[in-house]
Parts: sequence; structure tokens; C-alpha cells
Amino acid sequence: MSQPYLRIQGLTKRFGASAAVRDVDLDVKQGEMLVLLGPSGCGKTTTLRMVAGFVEASEGRILLEGGDLTGLPPYRREMGMVFQSYALFPHMTVAGNVTFGLRMRKLPRPEIEARLAETLEMVKLTAMAERYPRQLSGGQQQRVALARALAIRPKVLLLDEPLSNLDANLRQQVAREIRGLQRAAGLTALMVTHDQDEAMMMADRLVLMNEGAVQQVGTQEELYERPANPFVARFIGHSNLVAGELAEGARLALPGGGAVRLAGHYAAGGPCTLAIRPERARLCGPEDPAARVTAVVEDATYVGAHVEVLLALPDGTRVILHDPTDGGAARRMAAGERAGIAWDASSERLFDASGAPLAARAAVPA
Amino acid sequence: MTGAARSSERGAAHARVSLAGMLVWGLIALGVLVMAVPLAMTAYISLFRDAVVIFPPSGYATSWYARILEFPRFGEALGTSLRISALATLGSLAVGIPASLALVRYNFVGRGVLNVLLLSPLTVPGVVIGLSIYVLVVETEIATEVPLIGSDLVLVVAHLLITVPWVIRLCVANLVGLDRSVEEAAANLGARPLTVLWRVTLPMMRQGIVAATLFAFIVSFENIEMTLFLIAPGQTTLPISVLQYLEYRVDPLVAAVVMTQTLVIAGLLLLLDRYVKLSRIVS
Repeated sequence: MSQPYLRIQGLTKRFGASAAVRDVDLDVKQGEMLVLLGPSGCGKTTTLRMVAGFVEASEGRILLEGGDLTGLPPYRREMGMVFQSYALFPHMTVAGNVTFGLRMRKLPRPEIEARLAETLEMVKLTAMAERYPRQLSGGQQQRVALARALAIRPKVLLLDEPLSNLDANLRQQVAREIRGLQRAAGLTALMVTHDQDEAMMMADRLVLMNEGAVQQVGTQEELYERPANPFVARFIGHSNLVAGELAEGARLALPGGGAVRLAGHYAAGGPCTLAIRPERARLCGPEDPAARVTAVVEDATYVGAHVEVLLALPDGTRVILHDPTDGGAARRMAAGERAGIAWDASSERLFDASGAPLAARAAVPA
Repeated sequence: MTGAARSSERGAAHARVSLAGMLVWGLIALGVLVMAVPLAMTAYISLFRDAVVIFPPSGYATSWYARILEFPRFGEALGTSLRISALATLGSLAVGIPASLALVRYNFVGRGVLNVLLLSPLTVPGVVIGLSIYVLVVETEIATEVPLIGSDLVLVVAHLLITVPWVIRLCVANLVGLDRSVEEAAANLGARPLTVLWRVTLPMMRQGIVAATLFAFIVSFENIEMTLFLIAPGQTTLPISVLQYLEYRVDPLVAAVVMTQTLVIAGLLLLLDRYVKLSRIVS
């Protein structure tokens, strides 16, 4: 692994007594797309704005290629940013917008012309060079914003919710375009989004944040398969969380009565949280020996690829399971029916009271 | 039965709507009439032949327009008015634009007080401001023996008091509606703060600045009550010279003067309109 290109160390931002960002450490490799993901107010945008230099850090450092950027004003950071609102200059043409950064750098005119042509070609807007932003569609404005940031050949490309103002059907296409350009140019990029699908689609690695702190950093697969805590498990892929008391190594007693027969065997005991993904568990008969817990069906909705089944566990905890559809042959569950829920040890995630994942010692035969 | 009742109800509703529509159109027509009548009447009277304004006139003539030249006072007064208004407008932009930026963009101690202070001249009657400035200037003249009454300096500074609030109001309204991230984008692309101001913020404020220029100019040009205290013989603004003329003579000449003044201002506005679309700014 090469040394980090962009390094964020202990970055903290306090507004009065409360901290919007707490002690964030991140390493971004050269040419990598790192996506900051999290619910609104989690500090991801503040982090990005500190990297861009619009928000002053209360503590911590931002290093680029080993040099400290922390105290530098935005205009000396050599970072190209794409804003959520696009923030195009309304009084300049597309060409004026795209060349603004080049003119600020006082590049020679032929060089500016060449880069303008090259950048517009990249985003397929050559024909629009003399138009004003208000004469363009949302998607075109977005591409101008991207071209403007790319034209300066930034050391880091910053993307603040770049897709949120686009129509749903345009989003995937633009996401792929941005990703293609970023890869082709070998650009290091930092993107912020609240949309899990967007993040999954664009990222080399993801950073999941909540309440100002980093919850987990990793690839899509790492976050999905090995969530670091219950928050990650629920945010990425909507795991069902079931709280209980771990006893006898493989039995999770539910607080309101009843118990779950765990697939793994755990050394620890005490209060625990079980995470089960809707698509990683299956329904079976209530008396089926594979059933790890029995539940009552409350609702079943056919959504195409699967039937979304809402069930209540013995203590009242509600869980959602995805029951695969198979051409309409399978019997549909009905509300009020009793059912068993089964899963394999590989699908089971258990977290202790502090939220740390517990490792199963050995699978207990079902 | 119920169907018939419903349809008659609908008919009544329809009648009410058209009645309301007629009322609205009537009010609009009345408004336009009220605004247009003074100008139309002035234009009409300026063409009367008689030296005394009587109705109906014995005939029509354009000779009053030619006679304006016999009263160079009006020409001088128009010159003074244009000069004072232009200087007051420039001055109020120089004060008002930075003040608006500070009021909208920065949170500093005394911001609320400054805001009230800058807008307060609008709430004080012009006569009171004029009299106060007159007393101050006279006291200063006595103390320093520098002649001040009737000087451009005093007139322009006094006019700043009534033009600056307009500039600030219009520019603040304009600034509040601007997306700050556009300025951040400029900084991100390598523009220093002053470059951001010059290349991005001010161009984006253009509509507000043009509107402010217009209002400042008009407010200054037409002011009588405050200016009345600060003029001197030979240093009179046009509205005041018209007032003075009316004190001992009422003939169509004043109407001709007012029409000439209106045409001069309209000409200036048309000239301005070539560079900025005023219609877009006012609406």
C-alpha cells in the first residue's frame, strides 16, 4: 500500500459547546474515491468544508502529499469542488465558468483555450460553450460545475452531494460519468452523500459517520458483511436489530419473554444486540427444527423481487424479512399466521453492550 | 332538485368571481389613471397660449417652451440638480454597497444598531433633517468662518442621508437572495477575497445596484423639504426654483419647465436602459 496522499488527523470542529465533527482520522490514497456517508447532521459536510478550507478546524490537521494545509485559505488549496447547488457564476458563459480557475492562475491564453476545449470535450458540452447557466438543464449545469472543477487539474476533487439535485433517472448515468472521469484522470476524490445507493455505486472505500464521529471505514463489502457496530449494520442494508441478554453462549433471551436460538456460540455474556439482514434469513414452519425463533406475521407486501414480511417476535420486537418470490408458485404468508425464522451462522452478527462485534467460537448445529 | 340548486350555486359563484375580476380591473384602471393624470395635465397646460391658466384656454402654443431660455435660472437649477443628484448617488453607492455587504455577511457587535442607524433617516421628516443640518452648518460657519451654506459639499452630504437608506435596503434585499456557495466556488478556484468581490459578488449584485442607483438619483433629485434649508442664491435645485417661481406667478411656463425636466430624466433612463434592462429590475 502506498503512503496516504491526503491525510486527515484528529480533525474536530466545535460550534459552541457541541462538536459537529469529533476527532476524525482518514487516509485517502492517490487516485481513490472516498465517500463520506451518513444521515444529515452527522458531520460529513463539515468535514468536507474543512478540507476545502471554508470552515476552520478547531483541532487536527489536514495533510496533502505530506504538506500541512490546515491554516491555508481556500484559494491556495488547489482543490476543485463541485457544490450541491452547482454554484455556477450566473453572469458568465459556460466557457467563462470553466476558465475562471485558469484565469485566476494567470495561465497563458493558448493554454487556457486548449484546456477549455479539452475539458468541454470531456463532459460533452463543446456546443454549449457560449451559453449562460440559466439556459442549461440541471444535468448540463452539473457537468459545467464538474468541468470547472476539473479544468484546474485539482490535487483533490471534492464533491458535495453532487447528484442530489438531479432527477432519479439521470442520477445513475451521471454517477457513472463522474466515476469514469475521476478514474480516467486518476483523480483523488472525496465525496459527501446521505444516499447509501449513491455511495455504494461511486466509492472505492466508504466512511460511515454518525453524530460527528467515524463509525467505520472500508469497502462496500466490508461495511455490509462486517459492520463494526449496530449503527453500521442498520444504516448499510437495513439490518433488523434485536436486543436481548446472551446466556449459555448460544441463547439470546428477549427482554419481554421468549428467546432466540443463535447460530454461533459466543464466549461473552450479558446484554447484546443481534443483527439480521432481511434477505439473509428465511421463513419456515413454526415447528421446523431449523427455526431459531418463532414470530407472528403482521403484514406481507409483494414488491416484485420479494415479499416484504413484517413479523413480531415473542417480545414484540418487529423485524422485516424478504421472502423471495418464485413466479407466484410459493404460498403467501397471511397476517396473523405463526412462522419460524431461520438463518445460518454466516448471516448472524452479534454486538456486545458497547457495540463491538462478537466473534462466534464454533457453529452450533441447527 | 339538488342538481338545480347546485348549478344555481355554481352560477352565483361564477358571478362572484367575475364581479371580483371586474373590481380588480377597475382598481388597476383607477391606479393607472391616478398616476398618469398629473403628467398628462402638466403636458396639456404647458401648451396653453394664455399667460393665466384658465379653462378652457383661448388657444394652444408651444411658445412657453421657447421662453424657458429667457429664464436661465431654470437651466442653472437643472444643472445644479443633476450635479448634486449624481454626486449624492455615487456617494451613497460608495457608502451603501460596503455597508450592505457588512450587514449581510458579517456578524459583528453593533450590527443591529448600525442597521437601524443607517435606515433611520427614512423615519425622520425631511424638514426636521433640513433644519437640523442648517443649524449645524451655520454654527460651523460661525466657528470656522468657512462659507458652507449653498456649497455642493453640504448639499451632497445632506442628500446622502436620504439616499443611503435606499441603497442599503435594495442591496441588502439583493444580497440576501444570493447563493453564498457561488462565492465559495470562486475562492475554491483560486480567487482571493478582493477578486471574489470584484469578479463575482458585485456582478451578481448588479440588479440591486442598478435599482439602488435609480432610487438614490430620483430621491435626491426630487427632494424639496430638506434641500430648502441648504440652498443659497445662485445655488438652487430645480424643484425649488419651480416652487420659487410659483410664489409670484402661475403661468404655463412652469408646466413647460416640468415637462422639460421630465424629458431630460426620461432620456437619462432610456440611456441607462441600453446598458441594463431596467424593466427586469423594477419588476
